[in-house]
Amino acid sequence: MRECKIVSRKFDLKNSFTLTVSQAHGGYKTLKKLKEYSPVEIIHIIKDANLRGKGGGGAPVAGKWELMPQDQEHDKPSFLAVNCDESEPGTFKDRQIISKDPHLLIEGILITCYAIGAKHAYIYIRGEYHQYQKILQAAIDEAYEAGLLDACDITIHRGAGAYICGEKSALLESMEGKRGHPRLKPKQKEPEWYFGHPTLVNNVETISTVPFIVENGADAYRAYGTEQSPGTLLFAMSGHVEKPGVYEAEFGTSMMEYINHYGGGIKNGKRLKALIPGGVSCGVLTAEEVENLTLDYEALRSIGSSLGTGGMIIMDEDTCMVSVLKNILEFYHEESCGQCTPCREGTGWVDKLVGKILDKRGSKEDIDKLLEVADTMNGKTICVFAPSVSKVIVSFIERFRDEFEEAL
Amino acid sequence: MSEMVEVIVDDQTFHAEKGSLLIDLLIKEKVKVPYFCYHEALGADGNCRMCMVEIEGQKRPQIACDTFIKEGMEVRSKGENIEKVRTNILELELINHPVDCPTCDQAGECSLQNFYMDYGLHDTKITIPEKEKGLKKVDLGSNVILDQERCVLCARCTRFTDKITGTHELGIIGRGDHAKVSTMPGKKLDNPYAMNVVDLCPVGALTSKDFRFSQRVWFLKTVESVCHGCAKGCNIYIDHNKIKYQDDVIYRYRPRRNDEVNGFFICDEGRLSYKGLQENRQHEIVLDNEVISEDEAIEALKDLVKKYKSNITVIIDANLYTEDIEAILNFSKEIEANVCAPLDIYRDEDFKDDMLKSAQRAANYKTIENLSLETKIPEKCELLINFNHPGKFEAERSIDFRTHQDPDAAFILPLASYVESSGHITNEEGITQHCQKALSKNDPLPTVIEWLEKVSV
Repeated sequence: MRECKIVSRKFDLKNSFTLTVSQAHGGYKTLKKLKEYSPVEIIHIIKDANLRGKGGGGAPVAGKWELMPQDQEHDKPSFLAVNCDESEPGTFKDRQIISKDPHLLIEGILITCYAIGAKHAYIYIRGEYHQYQKILQAAIDEAYEAGLLDACDITIHRGAGAYICGEKSALLESMEGKRGHPRLKPKQKEPEWYFGHPTLVNNVETISTVPFIVENGADAYRAYGTEQSPGTLLFAMSGHVEKPGVYEAEFGTSMMEYINHYGGGIKNGKRLKALIPGGVSCGVLTAEEVENLTLDYEALRSIGSSLGTGGMIIMDEDTCMVSVLKNILEFYHEESCGQCTPCREGTGWVDKLVGKILDKRGSKEDIDKLLEVADTMNGKTICVFAPSVSKVIVSFIERFRDEFEEAL
Repeated sequence: MSEMVEVIVDDQTFHAEKGSLLIDLLIKEKVKVPYFCYHEALGADGNCRMCMVEIEGQKRPQIACDTFIKEGMEVRSKGENIEKVRTNILELELINHPVDCPTCDQAGECSLQNFYMDYGLHDTKITIPEKEKGLKKVDLGSNVILDQERCVLCARCTRFTDKITGTHELGIIGRGDHAKVSTMPGKKLDNPYAMNVVDLCPVGALTSKDFRFSQRVWFLKTVESVCHGCAKGCNIYIDHNKIKYQDDVIYRYRPRRNDEVNGFFICDEGRLSYKGLQENRQHEIVLDNEVISEDEAIEALKDLVKKYKSNITVIIDANLYTEDIEAILNFSKEIEANVCAPLDIYRDEDFKDDMLKSAQRAANYKTIENLSLETKIPEKCELLINFNHPGKFEAERSIDFRTHQDPDAAFILPLASYVESSGHITNEEGITQHCQKALSKNDPLPTVIEWLEKVSV
């Protein structure tokens, strides 16, 4: 397996979160180089590198950047909002960046702001990350003192603990001081809006990848990964593995190889039973499906799941899949923002139905009802929360129906 | 003016403005489509997901409140597919609803009930016994009571306080199926238009403290009228009923949409003004503390008019119908009386606001103003005939036509109130509107016109 450290290059250094260590190891080097390019050229480099959003969606980043107004006479300010509301169960990569190399994020923010013509960036950090927020704030303070933030301000905005605020429009609603409710989607392509001003929302890891690409060029980034999913991702493992954690790997790596190489294999020498590939919103996969799977967007999509954030949850042979689903649905029941009816009422219903099956009070009709409610929740809401829940339920029942029936 | 385009809805062709909302067209053309959260005054919120329609070329059903009209759009609002979608979403709406319609005040005018009759009508498939519980009676303030269990979280009420009154008292707290409408801790719903949230609420979650449990809505009879609280002339529905062996009484006023006058709303003071209308009414004819018959009264009035001939002043209330005013003017001419209409008394700057409330607190103020009548009564006034004017005037002798009791009046003749007769009024913007007769009392009192026909010499 090829070692590739693009974002995690400085993670293992002592005091890597300080400006001195960062600068000693090449931090902020791209800023000098930045003047050689126009903002549009920066966007072209990102486009050539085919950098894809690393927050779960995997959409081409340059597409969003190009929507930002470039004309300088534009009398409205533009903003960058960095999404650090990392709340997806199984995902814990962004906090590695902000606690181990916050200056990489700041460098990325400065480049991005230059490219999109923003003078102010906000980092929306989830409320529970207060210790990481302190590290990040200290790094921002250091950067201000060193005069690095003359052209662009960075403000940390702490969330109040709602999962849905990771959805970009809910994030902006929350930043505006309102309830974190996703907005109705625009009918044509346009940027997001923060108090009516064009705003770009990108994930922490996406922004942290930008300095490497600008420094080394698009081809250097494309040297990693596959044709359609170039580059690397901070993949993570949790659950029944010997060494859970975050390890950067290139797209296209074999999933089992990754688990065995970095994770040390399944815990206690057990057999793998199932795996959730990228945070709980991605459909569950069986051991057989995973066997020859590679870690890239296309491979996961082809078998009806998605790569998501790359935070894998590994389950061994002793795992009860009904309780896993119950655990996931409890989370969704708690976290549905309550705006749209199908999601607000549906998440509670499916949670209670699986609870009923788990308590041995269920019947065969309850399993069918689960699928029916899942169908009603799919594709009828403002955001993709309910469709995700729907897909999770369907993936569990399709693959492990016998276990659900045994539990009755 | 935007471009008008053709839209096909269920094989029928309609014309609509390009880029306008599909749901507006459906509502206008009376195409049946269920919705909770959309309201023409509040705009689209897209949270209830009930107004699903199928649009040609779109993979999934779309909500009509977030679909903009395009040239040649083909919409299907009926059919097995779309009705199944509505049924399923409605079923979700009902999981945590208490379904306590028999004790719910909204029964009979409840959107949820209506949609269930349209798209539900199935046996429950809900196999989980536990419903989310909420508080059944939360006093939000301003006569509004909240039942959290019945709420469908359409957010119309919170959007009303955000967008219309700008007072922001209401909000939604909690997430998912624990979400509840609430005020800020220790704060109350407190604005002069607060009770409109009761009309806005599509279900029985918000009810009016004033009306709840007083009548089943299907017993109420409704007429169209205009509020007499001020010169704005807000359009209202008067809901009244005559219970067997009792008299016909008003139970509530509701706002009636009129985009030229009041839009969708009325103020709380106007809404509750029906109460004062029904209290302390004058029923008997009293002359010098003695109840007399109508014939005696007509005789006495005629005598007085003859005695004080050419020294008579007639005073007109600016709340009377235009028809009544004309009759009074004719009568005054006949008896050669001075006509006065003091207007200062109606002025109330404290009442005025920049929404619907006018400082001129008389419904037909404009008509009186247009007549340019004398506004000061003569210093020396011998016989004064007052047609329900609220002022107190000095005179040697006075005759008072009154809807309400007046302890100072020596000769008082009862008068029907505006809800007991019909007529026109002209609001401060010069818009003339008709008020229907609402109440048919067991013992009807004469209107101004009827009195004047009787006393005409």
